[in-house]
Amino acid sequence: METGFLMLAAGSMAGVFGSLLGLGGGTLIVPLLTLGFGLDVRVAVGVSLVSVIVTSGASAGVYLQRNTANLRLGMVLELFTAMGAVVGGAIAFLLDERTLEGLFAALLVYASLSMLQRARRDASATTAEAAADEPDRSAVEGGSPAGASPYERLSGPGYHIRNLRAGAVGSVFAGIVSALTGIGGGTVKVPVMHLVMGVPLRVSTATSNLMMGITASTSSIVYLLRGGIDPYVAGPTVVGVFIGASIGSRVAHRIHVRVIRFLFVVVLLYTAFEMARRALGVA
Amino acid sequence: MAGATRSLEIAIGRLLTIGTYASVGLVALGTILLIGRGSSPLDAAPTFDLGRVPGDLLALRPDGFLWLGILGVIVTPAARVVAALIGYARAGEQRMALVAGAILVVIAIGVATGTAAS
Repeated sequence: METGFLMLAAGSMAGVFGSLLGLGGGTLIVPLLTLGFGLDVRVAVGVSLVSVIVTSGASAGVYLQRNTANLRLGMVLELFTAMGAVVGGAIAFLLDERTLEGLFAALLVYASLSMLQRARRDASATTAEAAADEPDRSAVEGGSPAGASPYERLSGPGYHIRNLRAGAVGSVFAGIVSALTGIGGGTVKVPVMHLVMGVPLRVSTATSNLMMGITASTSSIVYLLRGGIDPYVAGPTVVGVFIGASIGSRVAHRIHVRVIRFLFVVVLLYTAFEMARRALGVA
Repeated sequence: MAGATRSLEIAIGRLLTIGTYASVGLVALGTILLIGRGSSPLDAAPTFDLGRVPGDLLALRPDGFLWLGILGVIVTPAARVVAALIGYARAGEQRMALVAGAILVVIAIGVATGTAAS
């Protein structure tokens, strides 16, 4: 019984941090289950994927109703993330445990560096930069006029997208990474949409959240049919993540995210170190 | 057409919210039953067998609720794509309907890949 409550608590913690930092919880679930409960990394990835779908479904529903997520763009890009997820799901069962742990350690280092970069950008953000992220009101309002180019059809109110091909390639990569590591892939998708395709950051985050559901769902099917999802571990973890994410979204405005972000970077780097030791067989 | 698309987005948003909450509710019920019978999440769990789910549900065994909830979680995003396919086709947006259809084909490939290897 104790283990059940501990897993619920671990899931809640991952959910709170994931929600506060926009990571969806997956980044913490895999190390918590492998290092904390001694589970196989593949089982942890399967459970993490189910948790990612839950957080994605709950938040994307709200984003769509509030018109923050771009459904058209999300659907076009998730066609490519789903392709990547099928490929990644198949590869995951061919790789050995230590290779997966090594990949996850590398991903954690990448996530830590991205967060540090984001923190630095936030600290030096000027009004001009903030204005640059605001939608261009001179652009076409939310339409998809018949005969418009694909770029215009996929653009949203006040912004025009660019580099659709690069976005598609990035999405395939995000799908593969998601299936191999059990994360939602937001760490890849958000920078691709925002920096490469010119989508405003808030829309990128919301659209990435929407896409995570299909990416994780596609690879979850492969995991489920190959016996890679443990329902007993998934139960308390998924419920915990759901509760944690709900709490996180409610307290987010009261918490100084910069402090949490730096704390989180320290936790991620320590976890990456532990995972790398396991991958190298020295743990 | 923009109005129809907006209604579709709101409907899809509701579908995602309802599907997620209902599925998590089933997983929570399964977890309560699992912990209530004194089992540990680290005990050996049964592999997925759709045929056993109805019997487990009727017998109030945690396995049935956990598997049904997990299936609900996994299927909800695909249901959202089916809804989009129907909605865009009705609104006359053939290209978006085609994209939705292509996503479903990729998901079906995922099912086929998983089934072939299991």
